[in-house]
Amino acid sequence: MNERELALAVAAEAPAPDPDFARQLDERVERGFPRDSRAARLTLARARAASTLRRRPPLAALGAVASVLIALVVAVSLIGGESTTRQADIPGASTADRQSSGAIELDSPADGAIANPAPAQPPAAAKRRAEALNAGLATQPAITRPNPNASTALGDDSTQLATPAPPPSRPGFAPGTRDRRIERSATLTLAAPDERLDKVAADIATVTDRYRGFVLSSSLATGDEGATTGGNFELRIPAARLDAALADLAKLGQVRSQTTAGQDVTAAFVTAGDRLEAAQAERASLLTRLENATTDSAATSLRLQLGANAGEINRLKSRIAALRIRTNYATVAVALQSTDADAATSSSSDDGLSGALDDAANSLSSALELSIRTLGVAIPLALIAAAIAFATRAIRRRRREAALR
Amino acid sequence: MDPAPARSTGVNEAIVEPGVALGVTTEEAESFEALYRRTFPRVYAYAASLVRERAAAEDVTALAFERAYRKRNRFRPARGTREAWLFGIARNAALDELRKRKRRASLEAEPEDLATPDFDGHVDSALRRATVRAALAQLDARERELVALKFMAGLSNAEIARVLGISESNAGTKLHRTVNKLREACDERA
Repeated sequence: MNERELALAVAAEAPAPDPDFARQLDERVERGFPRDSRAARLTLARARAASTLRRRPPLAALGAVASVLIALVVAVSLIGGESTTRQADIPGASTADRQSSGAIELDSPADGAIANPAPAQPPAAAKRRAEALNAGLATQPAITRPNPNASTALGDDSTQLATPAPPPSRPGFAPGTRDRRIERSATLTLAAPDERLDKVAADIATVTDRYRGFVLSSSLATGDEGATTGGNFELRIPAARLDAALADLAKLGQVRSQTTAGQDVTAAFVTAGDRLEAAQAERASLLTRLENATTDSAATSLRLQLGANAGEINRLKSRIAALRIRTNYATVAVALQSTDADAATSSSSDDGLSGALDDAANSLSSALELSIRTLGVAIPLALIAAAIAFATRAIRRRRREAALR
Repeated sequence: MDPAPARSTGVNEAIVEPGVALGVTTEEAESFEALYRRTFPRVYAYAASLVRERAAAEDVTALAFERAYRKRNRFRPARGTREAWLFGIARNAALDELRKRKRRASLEAEPEDLATPDFDGHVDSALRRATVRAALAQLDARERELVALKFMAGLSNAEIARVLGISESNAGTKLHRTVNKLREACDERA
């Protein structure tokens, strides 16, 4: 029997499909193998899964899941450890960030003033603020308006002209008092070119005078060439006109930061008033007793008490007067800075084409760093997944081939 | 349009049905239904030779065509012909069926007679077929699969290699040995 005859003989042995089966399959092909109903498929899938689990534990799947979990844990730990190390490696990073963000220290309520307006506070902060009010430590809502262009990374002269701190807080709360006595304060940092600093300094005094205030103190800093490089001013402005005065002061130069704060001193004011009334009543009583005194020793004792009482009354009157002045006049601290010094300091890195190029290089470097980190995690994961897929395929193929043995 | 891959001459030309237009349609342009019409009897024959049971062969054939239909967009001509791809699917379905039904033992037992009945009544033909059937029974499962792929499915050596996941030369060598063994068995019985 030659090969052709053998081929024909074997081909003749090929089983032929049943006509009914062929017809049914023809129909299914023509209909595009319609899927079973969803419920039937789900039932079938469950049955297959249960059967598979009964026959053998899914070791390959369990191994794959375990590998992926281990890889994820390692990756997460690596990423977390890296970020911690980076923060620890750069101890000055936070300081630099504060310097570059501008007027950050003004935002922090170092003197008890709350930096953000009340509506913007979270509930917890509002609660703390209410508690502080009750404790007599709170202030009026303070408004901080940092200028985005502001920078505190100035030269030596500018460092001396750092934004002045608001007045220290004092306790004060008087329940039931309608007329609150509020001690208001504000800080303002202005910047102007060197050639305009003298004019701005003069205008500060002019504006203060316009609002019937006065300059409590002022100091101007001069550079090597005798030109003004900055200055500090402490102003007293009628509290009722503070907002208008600040608005005019802000027009004199570039506002780098502005802060307003209020200190409730009503309690101290009421207390001093009550004590003054008591002292005055005591004085009247002492005077009456002095008139009725019958012995010299009694009269002498009453005179001594009257002297002490007079001193107390004077002290209380002075205190009340001081509180009136503090509440009637707001304290405004103005710092005047030169914009030229800032330009000299920051132009090399922040502005212009070189700054943009630096930023672009930094962005590119960050992107590359992120990409490398991502690849460092993704490549091992991909290799593990590929190995698992290869092993699974090999195992499945071997099991299938085993059916022919 | 590229023509269909050339087949080995001789054997395949003898067993492939005359209506199968090799090279008439391209692999890419051929619709699934056309592929089905062209290969259905051969896929069934191949599946039946593996599972050796009519009902199981029908299940495997239906499952193979359904899988192929669902995966028809995944076929890549660069990885082989459509027939090799289809018979690979049929093979996996058949092996899954064998494993599922634990037919390993029954494979070695007496199989169901799936051969086409001999209606021509010629004694010579009947004897020859009985001889070939007996010779085929002496082959092991892998050898019977090779024979089925070559003579019943009409695949080329390259396609057989693709289906079995082996090299073409290895497939040719194995096939040559199997055919020699089958011929010797036939000669002994003749």
